[in-house]
Amino acid sequence: MHALIIDDSRTMRSILRRIVTELGFETTEAGNGQEALDHLESGLTPDICLIDWNMPLMDGYTFVTRVRADERWRNVTLMMVTTESEHGQIVRALAAGAHEYVIKPFTPDAIIEKMELLGLVAQEVPA
Amino acid sequence: MTVTMEPSLGDVHAVVEEVWSSFLGAEEPILPLPTPMPPGGWSAAITVSGGWDAQVTVQLTDPGAVHVTSTMLMCGEDDCTDEDLRDALGELVNMVGGNIKSLMAGAAVLSLPLVGHGDISPGSHLVEVCRLDLTWRGEPVVVTVHTPPPPAVA
Repeated sequence: MHALIIDDSRTMRSILRRIVTELGFETTEAGNGQEALDHLESGLTPDICLIDWNMPLMDGYTFVTRVRADERWRNVTLMMVTTESEHGQIVRALAAGAHEYVIKPFTPDAIIEKMELLGLVAQEVPA
Repeated sequence: MTVTMEPSLGDVHAVVEEVWSSFLGAEEPILPLPTPMPPGGWSAAITVSGGWDAQVTVQLTDPGAVHVTSTMLMCGEDDCTDEDLRDALGELVNMVGGNIKSLMAGAAVLSLPLVGHGDISPGSHLVEVCRLDLTWRGEPVVVTVHTPPPPAVA
């Protein structure tokens, strides 16, 4: 499994990388939407993209619309991970094709739970 | 939390506590204890514009900024570079500012963060409407919100 982490903050990419690496994912990082698109264009096929909203050059919302408009990447799961928490923006991102939406600050469990719901991580079964 | 036209101290404090407990460890909570802020240190600011206009600023001492950065990056304090500090403090004020923005009525846009050593002056058209003096790991942390003054009543 492979995760593409897209955030202009190196700190946030590091935090997310630690979480998904613990789940067994390999990771690639991008500092904005354009850099992430370049990775996809060059053949990277991640299972999931974790996407910040506010980034220079290309924001996360534009990235989502660009990916969803291209058949090549129809199987890539898109999860927004952002401080943008207005209802209208959440609706906009989901309508554009994001599968999940996580608001910063988050706990590792919040990310893991969403990835379980998306079927990317096996759900823990209570003993 | 409630949606109002001006952030209350309690709401801003709740946002700061949530950011700190999520990313800096709940075992070392940020405390509502004012500690004198010496000159210098680091400042991180973010601007909100649209339905609500404001500047949200977080100020830390040099040791406080290093504590924050090493905790968020899970690296040794001696390994933190100025570039690391700028990045970590930028993300910190992004989360604080973004969540304060969500308390306000009206759609608004968040700027990219501005981080620097020393003070970051708010625009001359802004006045301080909220100030939290806090302590984390023995170091002062100051969070301020500046907004345009209310229109004068005739």
